[in-house]
Amino acid sequence: MLGLRRWWQRRQLLQRGWRGQRYVALDLETSGLDPKTDQVLAIGWVVIEPPLLDYQQAQYFVVQKRPDLKQSPVVHGMVTRDFAAAEDPLQALQALTEVLQGAVLVAHHVQFDWQFLLQFAKQHQVKLQPLAKFDTLTFEAQRLKQQQHHIARGSLTLTACRQRFQLPEYTAHHAYSDAVACGELFLAQAYQYAGRTNVPLAELLARCK
Amino acid sequence: MQPEFGDIIRFLLDCPPFDQLDGEQRQWIAGQIKAAYVNEHNVERFFKDYSPALYIVRSGGFDLFTPEGQLIERLESHDLFGFPSLLSGRDVVNRLEVIEDGIIYIIAGADFDKLRQQSRAFERYFIRAHEQRLLTETQHQRRPGGATPTTTSPSYADSLQLPIAEVVKRAAVCLPSTATIQQAAQTMREEKISSVMIVDEGRLLGIVTDRDLRNRVVAQGLDYGIHVNAIMTQAPTTVGSHQRLLDALTLMTQENVHHIPVLDANDQPLGMLTNTDLMRQQKSEPVMLISALNKAADLASLVSEASHIPDYMHSFALRVNDAGAVGRLLASLTDTMTRKLIDFYEQEHGVAPASYVWLAFGSQGREDQTLSSDQDNGLLLANDLNEQQLQWFAGLGDYVCEGLAACGVPKCPGNIMASNPDCRHTREGWLERFTTWTESPTPKALMYCQIFFDSRNVRGNKRLYQSYREAVAKLGRSEFFLGNLARLQSNVQVPLGLFNRFRGTESGKDSDLIDIKRYGLALVNDIVRLYSLHAGLTEPRTLTRLALLQDSKLLNRKDNQALGEAWQFLTQLRLQHQLAVWGTDHPKNALDPDELSTLVRRQLKTAFSILKDCQQGVGMKFGRIG
Repeated sequence: MLGLRRWWQRRQLLQRGWRGQRYVALDLETSGLDPKTDQVLAIGWVVIEPPLLDYQQAQYFVVQKRPDLKQSPVVHGMVTRDFAAAEDPLQALQALTEVLQGAVLVAHHVQFDWQFLLQFAKQHQVKLQPLAKFDTLTFEAQRLKQQQHHIARGSLTLTACRQRFQLPEYTAHHAYSDAVACGELFLAQAYQYAGRTNVPLAELLARCK
Repeated sequence: MQPEFGDIIRFLLDCPPFDQLDGEQRQWIAGQIKAAYVNEHNVERFFKDYSPALYIVRSGGFDLFTPEGQLIERLESHDLFGFPSLLSGRDVVNRLEVIEDGIIYIIAGADFDKLRQQSRAFERYFIRAHEQRLLTETQHQRRPGGATPTTTSPSYADSLQLPIAEVVKRAAVCLPSTATIQQAAQTMREEKISSVMIVDEGRLLGIVTDRDLRNRVVAQGLDYGIHVNAIMTQAPTTVGSHQRLLDALTLMTQENVHHIPVLDANDQPLGMLTNTDLMRQQKSEPVMLISALNKAADLASLVSEASHIPDYMHSFALRVNDAGAVGRLLASLTDTMTRKLIDFYEQEHGVAPASYVWLAFGSQGREDQTLSSDQDNGLLLANDLNEQQLQWFAGLGDYVCEGLAACGVPKCPGNIMASNPDCRHTREGWLERFTTWTESPTPKALMYCQIFFDSRNVRGNKRLYQSYREAVAKLGRSEFFLGNLARLQSNVQVPLGLFNRFRGTESGKDSDLIDIKRYGLALVNDIVRLYSLHAGLTEPRTLTRLALLQDSKLLNRKDNQALGEAWQFLTQLRLQHQLAVWGTDHPKNALDPDELSTLVRRQLKTAFSILKDCQQGVGMKFGRIG
């Protein structure tokens, strides 16, 4: 019974205009590519209330004290020193649960981050329940396909997508600045798609399935 | 925990005045920012929803309009707006239009106020920007990896810029004109000084120096009981205590004296400035350089001393704060070399057979010379010279111009040099030339005027020069002529295009470059010259002209100040550019605005818009006459 009501409520919310919603653009640093064996190292996010990104509500957590890094520093550039400042993972997860409540999770390749988050939350018996998930990568792929573009290798990276929208170049590749970069890309994509109309959130989400 | 905001902080470091905040303040404000993605679909609500605030363009392009639809500015990355409303408390009435979607950072009014309270530099920047007085703002920080050198910090002030009053430590040692020569010598011994001032009733009459005692007393076998006024130098050259050491240095070399009495604001003797004072003050390379030039015994040694000038000027330019000082010093070096060359010529060909004046025109005349400025000079001759005397002066012209060229001051491609018979005239001959220019103003004639009306007497008869200069000033007041000059000036296109954007002034591969001499400095000089011609001033230096025009009814104080600031800014910018490209084949006066730091780019725009306004003013005031 409770499930049905929640389903109904969620449906109602998704029918509301996209501009009135809250979004959380997020990026993870991980020790590898497999959510079953590899770890979440750091989480960064920023809250978006279109058209604003609010840096005051931005967060960044290092969540592993003694991580198993293997070859991953090549990718994320984090070194032992960075992990000394690690915080209680539970605290990070609680903050994340809170901010995701009723909000849309936005990420570049959202399924990747989501799988890791699920594993990570499960380890700490926490439940993450975003209203929905928006994938800037799939959205971009759909958009290009619609324009009959051949999708060249490398043209769907976060940097390449941002370039197409003339967004500024960021030099730091860091969970937090990638979260901001992804959030800005989301706004550019959504405004370009929706234009003046405050289209239902569901319609936007349908474009990144 | 809050993230580090690395990218935003790097951006703010390149976005004055945020570069002047301390690290903690910058970190704090980065965390307070709201970033808006602004596009044509949400722009009209932008000011309604988020004002008052300070806005920083992070990316994209936007046009800001007045409510009447007049374009104020095209805004691009790093541009700031919204602060006039924050400072004045008035509502935002302007309208924003999107040229290209982008991100605008929003800083709430309360946070803006907090930063203004915490940082005086931050506060001052916005007050000045609000009053459109950005030109006096100095670059704070070296741009990381940027190609443009920046102003040296104020703490490294060159001591030649000190007011004379700060250097003259001991009170004036004075004697009445009725004191005897022996008393003067005794006083000098007791006080351990090399000169005394001769003062009656608070008025300076003359000075007596060690050298006078030797040359005018001992060598002449004069009686020590005679009054000093018989041997003193009468009406000596003096300086005001508010003037700068460099002014005193210039005077010493111009007049070839080693002692200059310093007078206070009421013309009362304050103390004596000697060249030893200057040396002590300075570890003074300019003084040593000038005295080395003065000591050269022949052309070869003068040329060899002069070859140190470029290197020396580079280190001098890096040390001084006042870019104008470089032009003044260079002019004074050229003056010194000119006088030396005249001496050499006289040693070989006998002294001048008649009175004359060696005239400096153009940049040497205005004392805004650079290392690449070429010669502009001429001779003013006494009347009724015979063929032989004329020959002497023709020889002088040739000798000095060749000599200057050998010393590194390039010859004038337009042949405005005393070696050219067209530049050697009697007073009447010169006036005739000026009359042709002022009465039938061809473009070429007007160009000449811009050089010949800026003149100085480098060597020769002061009275002859004065009478010539005053007659020239009279010709320059012709309204018909001023009208034509004004029209010529309004034809110069200030390199600011539509939307207040820079427009390149060059052609071919340099088409992005802006010639800041021709379209900047020369224009300031031209505009100021026009006002001084109208006022009948005989002064050639642009800043001094402006000071003399303080009470002009035609040029209001605000424009006067703005022109002075534009001149100083452009002089500084050109100097830095020339230092940066020295020894390369890059253009010496043209630069790429994209290579400038954000602050300098904003300042250059301000300077150009001041010029544009003043150019219009000149057109309105003079252009319709004649």
